[in-house]
Amino acid sequence: MNTAYNFAFFDEGSKREIRRATLKAIAIPGYQVPFASREMPIGRGWGTGGLQLTLSLIGKDDVLKVIDQGSDDSVNAVNIKKLVFDTTGVETTDETREATLIQSRHRIPEVSLSKDQILILQVPIPEPLRYYEPSESETKKFHAEKEYSGAWLMLFEQIMKYGSMTTGADHPVLVHDRYVMAPSPIPRFDNPKMDESEALILLGAGREKKVYAVPPYTKVVSLDFEDFPFEPESFEDKECRLCGSTGVFLDELVDEATDETVYQCNDTSYCLEKLNAVGVK
Amino acid sequence: MKLDIVHDLQSVYRKIVDASARPGQLSELTKEACIVKEEGNHECPASILLLALTLFDQEVTFKVISEKEAAITKIINQLTYAKPVETEDADYILILQDAGVGTLATAIEKAKPGTLKNPHSSATIIVEVSKMSNEPMLQLKGPGIHTVEFVHVETTEKWVESRQMKNKEYPLGIELMFVDHQDQLLSLPRTTQITENRVIV
Repeated sequence: MNTAYNFAFFDEGSKREIRRATLKAIAIPGYQVPFASREMPIGRGWGTGGLQLTLSLIGKDDVLKVIDQGSDDSVNAVNIKKLVFDTTGVETTDETREATLIQSRHRIPEVSLSKDQILILQVPIPEPLRYYEPSESETKKFHAEKEYSGAWLMLFEQIMKYGSMTTGADHPVLVHDRYVMAPSPIPRFDNPKMDESEALILLGAGREKKVYAVPPYTKVVSLDFEDFPFEPESFEDKECRLCGSTGVFLDELVDEATDETVYQCNDTSYCLEKLNAVGVK
Repeated sequence: MKLDIVHDLQSVYRKIVDASARPGQLSELTKEACIVKEEGNHECPASILLLALTLFDQEVTFKVISEKEAAITKIINQLTYAKPVETEDADYILILQDAGVGTLATAIEKAKPGTLKNPHSSATIIVEVSKMSNEPMLQLKGPGIHTVEFVHVETTEKWVESRQMKNKEYPLGIELMFVDHQDQLLSLPRTTQITENRVIV
């Protein structure tokens, strides 16, 4: 552990400011609370928002898991984990069930979360209305007036152009019947996991200086139309080539030797757990 | 033992997060409150001082409503550098048990509810009461609550109706936190709906 820094890297004043913003975020589900995002030793847009939330929450008894696109071992996850470990000395893990804090980029783990866990999502663009309104003061006004016709219009245009809603990730959701929220670039497959979740979900956007939250047991509905219902990605008839799992989010890969399309669990820790349980195929 | 401003306050913060994310769940601040009690500052209730130390700094404004207002305001200001202001402008309003009857309802009425553009710039009211339990007196519903939760807040103050009036225009509203003499914490964000359990004869 590097003792040249305060515990959890931040000075206590920075932690307090993030903490106050986080508490307001929990009190107003889906509303983006501005906060004085600090300069971090990683690049903006590489998870500084999530990292700041993690550092403001973490204590000596926490067990941390960091994932990046479902993987515990990719560069972003490994480096964030190293930074937090270096400045706190807390235990880190790959096992979803063992973690008390889970910082994630672009996925919600396959294993359902429990009430003793907090999921922290890294968010690049927290404003779901930004696509059609560049001005922050205008989008703030839209949120104040619950003026979300643009969000629906955006989906409608996709249907007119392509025949279906084409939001690959970050499909907007309506939280607690009030705020339209960007769920961070999680696949549509993960959107339903936010609804009535057992764990508290916190979302942090460092570059855009916003934190927001979905408390446990909160209604989260993906935006859709009566005749064009919301549809998560489907992996019917497909299974993971390693562990054989079905009904999970799969990555599509091309086996270069045979030129065949193969599928593999996106959540590496889930896949590994399955493999360890049944023995390698 | 001395209060560790890094680790003890982190632990208090996590308990506030838990209590706010799951309204109706009573969080225990006993361990940290004991350390504060040992350290002195007996004018200010330990659990209220703990919350102030966790959340307050020079960017925060607060108002103390108590018979010992001057003394407690001075302690909190000296320890946190937070600025004392009038109730209408305060980010945090601290109401102690010795405040007169009706103070809580008046404070709720006066507290800033935020604006439609900035609903987060609203007040949090922290209230000292004698005792709290999960007896079925008040029924809670809303985000953070699976089906329903029950709490009993022992106080002579009439606050449920005033809070309802204040929070009727969601997302505007105020947050309420209660602490009792057993150093338990109850947090009621603006989204929590409260029904008083009336006995029908």
